[in-house]
Amino acid sequence: MKVQVLFFGATADAAGIREIEIDLPENAKAENAFAQIVGKYPALKQHSLLFAVNQEYASGKEIIKNGDELAVFTHVSGG
Amino acid sequence: MQVTKNQEPEAEDRKSKDFFELTLEPLDVGAIARRIVPKMCGATVTLDGYVRQFTGTRETLHLEYEGYEPMALKEMEKLIGQAREQFEIASVGIVHRLGKLEIGETSVVISVAAPHRRAAFEACEWLIKELKRTVPIWKKEVYADGEVWVEGENGKI
Repeated sequence: MKVQVLFFGATADAAGIREIEIDLPENAKAENAFAQIVGKYPALKQHSLLFAVNQEYASGKEIIKNGDELAVFTHVSGG
Repeated sequence: MQVTKNQEPEAEDRKSKDFFELTLEPLDVGAIARRIVPKMCGATVTLDGYVRQFTGTRETLHLEYEGYEPMALKEMEKLIGQAREQFEIASVGIVHRLGKLEIGETSVVISVAAPHRRAAFEACEWLIKELKRTVPIWKKEVYADGEVWVEGENGKI
């Protein structure tokens, strides 16, 4: 199944891209999806990362469904 | 026959809507603050967060803000709900600007209206602290000799 992955700010720079689509096995867990993404873009390891699934902070235990929106980003710095 | 019902002041207050927005446009702090002036309130506390030129001795030329917009709006809405549970407040407005901001330009406005000022001060302080921890917006500091995406403090979200 296919899911969309978004990067922002420092993670977009590290990945060199803002948005990708990845293939995951059915019933993949979020933590496996994120491990796959970090494996694909090792420069992400230089950052302390946060993850989101469908615009909610993810613990990693979430089961990913076809068409979900994942995001990988650094600790936030708005304000 | 026309019946005119006198609305209770508190019912009127509940109609006063909270708001949370992202924009690329310059922020008018006073105008944002005046959007929430509920009848049961006596004070609005407004934070005007703006671009700092000097952090210690290092000079910032300008900032660029980027947001994960739909998630940022969801998180802002959650913060308003959480603030309402903790503080005796009536209305909250939060507007964060994105894009390129020059020195001194307002990046974030948080306005909190309350019947009495203490709760408004406390809620406003709590809201900016939590916004900086949970709302997915990032700033890039552009210096004379380089640029860096600021990464917030690590901590459990």
